[in-house]
Amino acid sequence: MRRRYTLWAVLFLLVVYWMVPAGAVAAEDMKPLIFDEANLLSPEERNELNAMANEYGAKRETDFMILTVNSVPNDDYELWTENFYDEYAPGYDKPHGNTVILTMVMSARDGTRNVHLEGYYKAEKYLDSGRLTKIRSKITPDLSNGNYKQAFEKYIKTAHRYMGFEPGVNPDNILFNIWFQLGSAAAIGAIAVGIMAYRSGGRVTVNRRTYEDASTSGIMDHQDRYIRTTTTKRKIERNTGGGSGGGGGGGVTRGGHSHSSSSGKF
Amino acid sequence: MPVIEYKCPNCGSGMVFDGNTGMLSCPSCGRKDNIEQIPDPLKKQVFIEDEVKEYHCNSCGAVIVTEPETSATTCSFCGSAVVLSDRLSGNLAPVMVIPFSITKEEAMKAFKKWCRNGLLTPGGFMTADRIKGITGMYVPFWLYELHNRVEVHARGTKVRTYTRGDYQYTETQHFDIYRKIRLNYVKVPIDASEKMNDELMDKLEPFPYQQLKEFKTPYLAGYIAEKYSQNDEQLYPRAKEKISSYIDSYISTAVSGYTTVSYTNKQIDTTLKQADYVLLPVWMVHYDYNKSEHTFAMNGQTGKVVGKPPISKAKVAAWFAGISGVSLLSLKLISWAMGGGFL
Repeated sequence: MRRRYTLWAVLFLLVVYWMVPAGAVAAEDMKPLIFDEANLLSPEERNELNAMANEYGAKRETDFMILTVNSVPNDDYELWTENFYDEYAPGYDKPHGNTVILTMVMSARDGTRNVHLEGYYKAEKYLDSGRLTKIRSKITPDLSNGNYKQAFEKYIKTAHRYMGFEPGVNPDNILFNIWFQLGSAAAIGAIAVGIMAYRSGGRVTVNRRTYEDASTSGIMDHQDRYIRTTTTKRKIERNTGGGSGGGGGGGVTRGGHSHSSSSGKF
Repeated sequence: MPVIEYKCPNCGSGMVFDGNTGMLSCPSCGRKDNIEQIPDPLKKQVFIEDEVKEYHCNSCGAVIVTEPETSATTCSFCGSAVVLSDRLSGNLAPVMVIPFSITKEEAMKAFKKWCRNGLLTPGGFMTADRIKGITGMYVPFWLYELHNRVEVHARGTKVRTYTRGDYQYTETQHFDIYRKIRLNYVKVPIDASEKMNDELMDKLEPFPYQQLKEFKTPYLAGYIAEKYSQNDEQLYPRAKEKISSYIDSYISTAVSGYTTVSYTNKQIDTTLKQADYVLLPVWMVHYDYNKSEHTFAMNGQTGKVVGKPPISKAKVAAWFAGISGVSLLSLKLISWAMGGGFL
C-alpha cells in the first residue's frame, strides 16, 4: 500500500512540474526585448510578450528578442540585424551575449514581407540554422494570417523548447514529445495490467504437440516447384550536397560575432 | 440393484477411494483394498436404460436425491458413498478413468496457495477463508482419436534485395508449393457435461494420460460423478475445431523458408477413429466473495487451478501506475541519453 502512494505522489509531482512553466518574474526586473517599430502589437500585447520573453529567456539564459520594422536600408535585413546586435549589444549573460533575434521587415522594396532569425553564442550552438528554420516554418502560417502575437508566442516557446535539446539531435523527434511519452507509458501499463488480468483465470497450457501422435504423423509428400523470378529496381535517393539546409546558414557580424540564421518570406 | 456401495468387510463402514494410495480404503478401521483385484459388480449386471426412477440408499434406506446427470454421489442422510450403477453401464459405461491423486486436504491447501499468488486479486480474497465448498468430481470427457489427411497448395515467394550502383534491386522468386501431411491426434479431450464451462475445462488440460486406468466403480466411491450429457457425435464438431488451430500451425511449420506464403487450396480430411468415454478428476471449489459466488476448478492430478478470480480495482490501479511510472521514467532516461533533456 505504501509503495502505491509513493508512486502516485511521484507521478503527481512530475506532472505538476511539467504543467507549471516557471515562477513569475517580477515586473521591475524585466528587460525590454520587444521592439515593435512596425506597430504590429497593442501595448498590452507587447507587455505580455515582453514578460513571456523574460520568463522563458531566463530559463535558457538567453534573450529572446523580437524586432519589427517597416523597412531596412537596401532590404538587407541580415546586415541590419547584425548591426543591431553590434550596436545595441544585447545578451542575457553579458553585452554581446546569448541572444536570439527575430526580425520582421513589413514592406521591403519588392513588396514582400520578410522574417529573419539569428542566434548568437549559446543560441548559435543550440539554435543552429536548421532549428531556426524549423521555428520559422512553424510560425510562418500565423504570420501570413496576421496573427502576430500568436506567432511570437510560438517563437518564444519553440525556441525555449528547442534549447532544451543537445545540439545535433532532432528536437522534433517523437521520442522527446511529452504526450508521446505519457501515452506510451500509459499504453505499456494498460497492456501489462490487461495481460495480468487475462492470465489471472489460468491459461491454456496445451499446444499443438500435446495430442499429436508424432510416430504416425508427418509430411508424406512435398513439392516446391520454381516458377519464375521477377525483379524490380529502384533508384537510391542520394542526398545532394551537405550543408545545414534551410533558408540560411549563418555568418559573422562586422563586430566579429558569429551567428546562425534563417530567413524567408511570409 | 442399481445402487452400489462398498462396505468394509472388517467393520462394515462405507469405504471410499483414497487418492493418496490409489486404493479403496475404510475411514474407520483403515483397511485398504486394491481396486484392481475387486470384481466390478457392474460387469455382472445388465440394465435397461431409464429403468429405475428412484434410488434407495443401501445403508439407511433413504431416497437418494440426485440430478439426472449424477452417477456417483453420497447419501444426503447417512453420508454413505453410493454409485448409481445403471448410469454407468451400457452406453454410459466409461472406458477409462484417471483417479484423483490430490486429496481434499491437499486440494484445499493448493487452492489457498494459489489464492495468495494472485497479483490482482483483492486482499480479502487472498486469505481464502470463505471457501463455501470443495467437491471432488469426475467429469465426463470424450477422448477423440482423429486422423487427418491434409493436402495444401500454396504460392510462396523468396525475396532477395541487393544494390548495384545507384539502384536497389528486389528479386522475387515464385514457387508453387505442395504438401501432403498425415496428422494424427490422439486423446483430444472434450468435456461432455453440459453443466461444465467449456472454457474452464479447456484450461484444466493437460491431464496426465499415463494415469489412465481401466474403469472400475470403486474409484468413484466418495466422489461425485457425472454421466455425459452430450454424446461423441454431438461433440465431434468441437473436437475438430479444437485441432484445426493445431493443424494450421503444423502446416505453417511444414511450409518454411519462404518470405510470404499464400494458400490457394487447403484440404483437411478428418476421420474419427475412436472416441473413448472417460472420467477425469476435477476439484470444484465454490468461493463466496463479496456476495457473489466464484467457481474454480482444479485438475485432480496436476493441481492446476483455473477460474476467474475477482479483480481488485485498487491493485489494478497500483500496478498500472507503477508500470506506467517506470515506463515513463525509462522513456525519459532514453530521451535524456539521446540528448533530449530530462524534463
